[in-house]
Amino acid sequence: MSVEPRRATVLVVDDEVRILSAVQRSLRREGYEILIAETPAEALGILAEREVDLIVSDQKMPGMSGLEFLARAIRMRPQAARLLITGWTEEVPREEMEALGIRTLLPKPWDDGALKQAVREALGR
Amino acid sequence: MSQSAPLVRIIVAQPRHRLGSPGPLGGTARVLEHLGREMDIAIVHDAETCLARAAGAPTDLVVLDAGLEAEGDRILEALRASGPPVVVVTDRPEDERIHAAFRNGAADCVAAGQDYARVLPIVALEQIRRWRETVERGQVEQRLRDLERLGDAIVEAIPAPIAVLSAEGRVVSANPEFARAFGVSLDAVAGKPLEHLVPEELYESGVLRLLIASAARAGGGNGVDRGTVGRTRRFDVRVRRLGEGGGLLVVLWDVTERDQLAKRLADLTRYNENVIQNLNSALIVVDRAGAITFANQAAEGVFAAEPGTLRGQLLWDWFPGTSPEKLLVARTLTEGVRHRNAETVITRRDGSLLPIGVSCAPLTDAAGERIGAVAIFEDLSELKELQRAVLQNEKMASIGQLAAGVAHEINNPMGFIHANLCQMTEYLTDVRRVWDEVVRLQESIAGGSLGEIRRQSLGLSQLVRQLDVEYLVGDFAKALRESQEGSERIRHIVQDLRSFSRHDPGERTLADLNECLDSTASIAWAMMKHSVVLRKEYRDVPRVRCYPMQLKQVFMNLLVNAYQAIQERFAQSGEIGEIRLQTAERHGGVTVTVTDNGIGIRPEHVNRIFDPFFTTKEVGIGTGLGLSTSFSIVQRHGGTLKVESKPGEGSSFELFLPLAAGDETGPADGGTSAAGGAGRA
Repeated sequence: MSVEPRRATVLVVDDEVRILSAVQRSLRREGYEILIAETPAEALGILAEREVDLIVSDQKMPGMSGLEFLARAIRMRPQAARLLITGWTEEVPREEMEALGIRTLLPKPWDDGALKQAVREALGR
Repeated sequence: MSQSAPLVRIIVAQPRHRLGSPGPLGGTARVLEHLGREMDIAIVHDAETCLARAAGAPTDLVVLDAGLEAEGDRILEALRASGPPVVVVTDRPEDERIHAAFRNGAADCVAAGQDYARVLPIVALEQIRRWRETVERGQVEQRLRDLERLGDAIVEAIPAPIAVLSAEGRVVSANPEFARAFGVSLDAVAGKPLEHLVPEELYESGVLRLLIASAARAGGGNGVDRGTVGRTRRFDVRVRRLGEGGGLLVVLWDVTERDQLAKRLADLTRYNENVIQNLNSALIVVDRAGAITFANQAAEGVFAAEPGTLRGQLLWDWFPGTSPEKLLVARTLTEGVRHRNAETVITRRDGSLLPIGVSCAPLTDAAGERIGAVAIFEDLSELKELQRAVLQNEKMASIGQLAAGVAHEINNPMGFIHANLCQMTEYLTDVRRVWDEVVRLQESIAGGSLGEIRRQSLGLSQLVRQLDVEYLVGDFAKALRESQEGSERIRHIVQDLRSFSRHDPGERTLADLNECLDSTASIAWAMMKHSVVLRKEYRDVPRVRCYPMQLKQVFMNLLVNAYQAIQERFAQSGEIGEIRLQTAERHGGVTVTVTDNGIGIRPEHVNRIFDPFFTTKEVGIGTGLGLSTSFSIVQRHGGTLKVESKPGEGSSFELFLPLAAGDETGPADGGTSAAGGAGRA
């Protein structure tokens, strides 16, 4: 951890600020740089400016769903890994998810260990 | 005719020349003058005048002077058959004409001699007495003949078989009805035993024979024996003894039809009674004072009364906990108000509540005066239970609709609470590590060397720095606060859901529709907040007596519909829809309007949307019961539910609830007792 050449950057998107706070809390000691956005629009703004290694997005958000947001994000940062969190897993169309190369779907509430594990795997570590 | 007038009328017929002549005949009229107290003596001179007078008034005697010769013969001849007696007077008794007069019907002859004045009155009186006797006898005979004819006519005309029997029981005569009724010829009845003429079955029971025998024995009294005989044809029989002769009058009165009618009436009465008694509905009849005059078995069930104990009781006495107005019959009795399937809840003697449907109508006498009321009470508890089940299912279905939104609402706080708990556990582990170091340091201070104390202290400082304890403690508090706030949010959602899925109490309660609408909207909000703007335009509205949970169900159905309409219109574009909630007081009631700018309803569907099971949604999304359930709930409240819609632009559902929603249960502000449970809504 101390000899990491560059810290991985994780962008977390959720309209629920408490979720953002909890995810940050979980990943604090993982050594990532964590960016947060409360709306997909804000997240797209960040993506326009920053290189990001992993995008963790909520599915249900006002104005735009997580999948719609990720579909746009993929065009801006195709190399960024993608991870979806949702409270209603049945609601997410699987084909669409797989088409976007999202392999992991985390349910809400999530298991803290499972989140850390999923993030590590998505970042290829 | 029958009066025995003291007046004696005599006609003296004599030649004109006899008047004033010296012989005794000239004084004939005078001789007769003292026969009676009142005398009418007319003197005539020719047959024509004499006969005219005799025909004109009842005449007791004609005294004919033989001197009238041929005219006298005409008088005799004319009166011979039926006229008054004619006494001939003559001064020539040897005359051949006198013999002829006797042959012609003269009653007597008096010769005009020395004792003419003495003899003539004697002869005249005798003739008058005899004549009067004859006349009277003739009159009596005539009356008897008349009576006989009348009797015959009656017996002939009477529509009942009548026979006269001899003492031996043989038929002497019978009337035409007898012949007609028993199919015998009138000419052939005489001399035959009655038994051979009437149908055998009339003799089967033996009653007829007994009646005849007993009447024959009853020595001439006026006793009438009667009885009923026959099977297929029934006859009332009366047998009467006819005077001393021993004959018997037998009158047979055909009562077959009467008996059949009586039987049909009895059958019909029994049938009606059966129907009424076995009706599932409780039927009672009360008089003007409300006293029960009739109650069927079902009524005893509904009233929880012992069989046969309701009659005579006051209706109100059976429901001490229910005001007379709520029984609905009261206004029928006082004002003649009719009710049809009005719903109310009554409190029975044992304190149990019973929802009932009441139909009642005034009972009037022939003059149209109200004399009471007929009421049918229907036990609605089963129906209510079914309605409640349907409503509950429907509610569950709409909860399913909500589940996605609600799950999201719950899962968000659950998500961060859960994550925070994990983190706080880790923090606690860190804190414990620091604590362990603190304990070790304390031990060193108590008994260790200075070097050891120094080393321990350094280790602790390193650990605190390494774990960033200052941040940790601050973040621990923050995580705790956020988690508490999250759990509070979950508690609210669950509370809302619980209040939505609750049953109504059995009775209507006074409820604030703004509150009902708003709490429902807050549940629905979870589902729709990402795609809908909710605009609330609530006015102050009076409280309405209603079933609040049922109305919340209606509001939820309307909100879900509005949301789905918006989803259909905007799901692709991601635009935000709008739902407007309005309440207002209007026309003696409260209106609640739910307006959306969704997809709208196609004109051909507008008339069907309140039909049960009509749905335009995919299977699994709509049950097709939402709006029809809503409609029937609103109807149950005496309100209306109307829709206006423009395809592609949106729909507006307007619900109207009259303030006197419980009109059929009496005035809204009347039953204050019913308001007791309002606090629970």
